[in-house]
Amino acid sequence: MDYFDVNLDLSDEDLALKEAAHKFAKEVMRPVAKELDQMTPEEAIAEKSPLWSFFRQGYELGYHKILLPDYVGGLALNPLQMNIVMEELGWGSFGLACQIAVVSFPALGAMYSNDEELIEKITIPFCECTDGSIRGCWGATEPDRGSDLLAMGEPIYHDPKVRCNCTAKREGDEWVINGQKSAWVSSGTISTHCMLHVQTDPSKGMAGFGACLVPMDLPGVSKGKPLDKMGQRDLNQGELFFDDVRIPANYMFVDPDFHEGIMEMLLTNANVWMASWATGLARAAFEEAFSYCKERVQGGRLLMEHYSIKQRIFSMFARVETSRAIARAAANLNFNISPGFPEYSMTAKITATENCLQNAHDAIQLLGGNGLTKEYLAEKLYRDARATLIEDGNNEILARHGGHTLLEYYPRNRDDI
Amino acid sequence: MAIFESSAKMKEIFGEIWTDMVNNTDFGKELKEAGITIGFVVTDPDVVMYVDEKGPIFDEEAEKKTPVVTMKMAGDTVHSFWLKKLNVPKALALRQIKAKGPVSKVLKILPLLKPGQEKYPSYCEKYNLPMD
Repeated sequence: MDYFDVNLDLSDEDLALKEAAHKFAKEVMRPVAKELDQMTPEEAIAEKSPLWSFFRQGYELGYHKILLPDYVGGLALNPLQMNIVMEELGWGSFGLACQIAVVSFPALGAMYSNDEELIEKITIPFCECTDGSIRGCWGATEPDRGSDLLAMGEPIYHDPKVRCNCTAKREGDEWVINGQKSAWVSSGTISTHCMLHVQTDPSKGMAGFGACLVPMDLPGVSKGKPLDKMGQRDLNQGELFFDDVRIPANYMFVDPDFHEGIMEMLLTNANVWMASWATGLARAAFEEAFSYCKERVQGGRLLMEHYSIKQRIFSMFARVETSRAIARAAANLNFNISPGFPEYSMTAKITATENCLQNAHDAIQLLGGNGLTKEYLAEKLYRDARATLIEDGNNEILARHGGHTLLEYYPRNRDDI
Repeated sequence: MAIFESSAKMKEIFGEIWTDMVNNTDFGKELKEAGITIGFVVTDPDVVMYVDEKGPIFDEEAEKKTPVVTMKMAGDTVHSFWLKKLNVPKALALRQIKAKGPVSKVLKILPLLKPGQEKYPSYCEKYNLPMD
């Protein structure tokens, strides 16, 4: 189902991008996501899994490099286009949308390194890849440090008592990595490269982190089992282990001085992407419910003719429009200034994810018993939506960090830009 | 003490560098092809520059323009950048540089400025600017 876009200034290019992304979401993502959802996590990454076909088709269309600018071979979408395309991918499947974005993190990190060797070795080949054979992951979360890692600027972030699970020590021209990352590393067990956050200076607590690039075929790297989850089962996640893994010194591209800043930047960007995907999921739930209510007869008339159902459907529509508006506003702001203002991204992420869960919940309620069965999409949307309130920063912790940001910066001054 | 002793001196140096880049490298052509114009709002010393494929203009004239990308930074940060001693993404994250304009265009500027960075040490020698 198409939607009316309240932005009357969309260009022909914007509309073409939207149409192409919707076609991919409908014809590739939805069927693949449905299959993966019903597989075990091991089956989902086995040789014959449809996941690989999804990657091949997605890479051919360039969706894996959606976050990258054109000077390194990326798609170079403007903020509005990025929002439009991401919403469509989120409509197709939140998990797969997240999957095809997170694979670019090492390439993105190499680009931020400002190191031409890393850009040549990691970013450019990734952008040129069309068969899905180069896949990155984002190794931030740890068994003992989940959303804590998003407490930049807060006292706990600088507490030296905080010990981390993955560390690196400098030895000559190399860094030696030891430890583990938690089972929530997206794309973890299928990755060829990792953008890895490691503690390099324990005396600074979490502020003593650095970030590095790790080819996952290095000696000492091992991967855990793919995680078995209630929702977003099409998004591969799993533990990573590092046992005396040696990387060249320049692969540690973020030192502790830079780390807090880059984490804030990543949070600011990632929360905007999350809000766009969540808008797509909220829209999918709205469409499922709306279509059903226009066909299903109860009490002698269509569900849609019942007073309370009209109200409920309208609330679902309003949540979609609200989510899109706030996601686009955050994208327009934070993809047009550097550094961005994270409080606006967090507002968008929290609002859009709560809206998508509420819409998925309402869709099941409106579909009644059918909504609980695997025959209908609603139950998968509900399970997928539930995870969004936790991933990329638990919403309560984001709100706490948002409050901290307001305390520091509110009201923002135009001269801050 | 600031690297650039005065606004006038900074304008003299960068007037020469930008003109050199536009006339003697592909910078102007590439800037035009990329659809980028750049504004620099420099503090210590205070200078406003606007650069497009035709070259630089300064202060009141520059302030009337609407560049695609605007970058705000201190004069010493400008100097570090041209000496290739500044990690721009890091400087952005740490607010040493504040940029307005599409982030993809901000990042795209960096490779376009390489010819100028290659020439900059010779300007440092000419104008007696430190290179440490």
